[in-house]
Amino acid sequence: MAYKIAIGSSDGKIVDLKFGEVNKFLIYEVGDEVVLSEEREYIPGEAEDNSADSCSSSSCDTKSCGGNGGGCQGPGNVAGKVELISDCRAVVCKKIGFQAQKQFEKKAISVFDVECEVKEALDKITFYYKRIDNHESLRG
Amino acid sequence: MAKLLDKQRYKCALGAMQTVQAIDRALPILHSGPGCAQKLSENTGSSGYFSPNIFPCTSINEKDVVFGGVKKLDSTIENALKVIDADLYIVLTGCIPEIVGDDSGEVVSRYEDAEKPVLYAPTAGFKGNNFKGHEQVVDAIVEQYLKKSDEKIEGLVNIWADVPYQDLFWLGNIRELEKLISELGLIPNTIFGYKRGIENINKIPKAQFNLLVSPWVGLGNMKKMERKLGIPYLHYPTLPIGATETSKFLRAVGEFAGVDKDKVEAVISEHEDYYYYLIGRYADLFLENRVINKQFTVVADAQYSLGITKFLVNDLGLVPAKQFITDDTPKYYRDKIAEEFKKLNFGIEADVSFETDGYKIHEEIKTHDYHGYPLVLGGYYEKEVTESLKGNFLNVSWPHQDKVVFDDFYVGYTGGIRLIEDIYTVAVQRFN
Repeated sequence: MAYKIAIGSSDGKIVDLKFGEVNKFLIYEVGDEVVLSEEREYIPGEAEDNSADSCSSSSCDTKSCGGNGGGCQGPGNVAGKVELISDCRAVVCKKIGFQAQKQFEKKAISVFDVECEVKEALDKITFYYKRIDNHESLRG
Repeated sequence: MAKLLDKQRYKCALGAMQTVQAIDRALPILHSGPGCAQKLSENTGSSGYFSPNIFPCTSINEKDVVFGGVKKLDSTIENALKVIDADLYIVLTGCIPEIVGDDSGEVVSRYEDAEKPVLYAPTAGFKGNNFKGHEQVVDAIVEQYLKKSDEKIEGLVNIWADVPYQDLFWLGNIRELEKLISELGLIPNTIFGYKRGIENINKIPKAQFNLLVSPWVGLGNMKKMERKLGIPYLHYPTLPIGATETSKFLRAVGEFAGVDKDKVEAVISEHEDYYYYLIGRYADLFLENRVINKQFTVVADAQYSLGITKFLVNDLGLVPAKQFITDDTPKYYRDKIAEEFKKLNFGIEADVSFETDGYKIHEEIKTHDYHGYPLVLGGYYEKEVTESLKGNFLNVSWPHQDKVVFDDFYVGYTGGIRLIEDIYTVAVQRFN
């Protein structure tokens, strides 16, 4: 079964971006082969507005509210970014904050915060999924 | 084909964290998922220094499965050394890192030069249960920490018994064994419990011999120490409970250690006199209650199953029904242990079954004709089935829900009296 992996990388070679720094996710599609299917750009906007709604209805400052925390949806840009790649099975970045991890967890998207080559990450993750999808042991 | 195992009486090998916990000021560092320690820790008394809630743990997750968890292990060890004041750190691995192939041993070897010893024991659940895990921890100490000593202390004896915490009476038992051994004029050395710890571990190589009091747990450790440290061992398979077995035990140890025979006999007769004085005083109680339980069954790990069976037959004159050993004893020890059940007084032989499935054990108990009410000594699992048969039940083995024990014991002459007290406390309640 084909699935997608979102990677935060500035040059397509090394996973060098933190989740918060990513403007463009590299989306790899894994079927029989692993191919870079698209570069998905994150445009700040809609998501923040949604999460800010509850805030703006009261008199508080949206920015301070949408900073750290931001209620159950997490900070606005986190919710938006999570939504942007919610069709992926896994997300790979150099670092991924607690808020974002929890949001991904809710959507059953695996989070890998690692610093390595993109190829290495893809190899290891696809190997892992292949084994567990086929109910094979991870040993050896 | 997968099958269900009902009411098993042991935990996974990572349960060996309790063995580490039993060593004073020793700390397990867990390379495992975050729930393992939580599930394995019990409320049967903590170490008195560390609670299982603060055991450093790598809390590995999916990321570590895919990319390996060695970095996390390294930082966990590094920081544990900084933050937690212990004398000995033992890294224990759970299933996940062993399956995905983390080289934990290599990571631990980076700490060879650390101020405090850091050891590594592979305790993945698929390698065996916590009895096996216990052996792995002792092995780790022998292999990675101890060195052969040319200096020997005359009369120093390392005493090894069954698994701490798994055995509710572990602390009292080992203290009582120490006491008995010292009465023979020998110097006991144990590593578990209050004020033992690293200093006693350091003394291990200087011992004259190792004394193992267990049907099988630890036998591998004894062989390893014999090879590596040149310490001979005496394997006494039966946990000595009551006068008959304890006297045999003292004679065996005395002979092995070269203690003067008269001295051994003097110790024995002093204990036996008092023991039989107590028994004599309560002879009426025994005779009156003889009608209650003609036959008994023990459902326990090998040490209690064997030790209590010998005690009840040899000292109390009860007749054994089928006995059950629930610790998943490795197959190559089984015949020898079954042989021991045939060495009872009066030519009596007991039938023993190595069975880990509680359902099957209960079915056998239900269908056996005990010629009256059964006496069942077992884990808490046996309480209900015994009550349904109107029998008498005593909780002697894991799981322990029916008994709180601080440092009580069943071993030795006094231990035998304690066991009689416990059994007859249950028996007399029938008439209240």
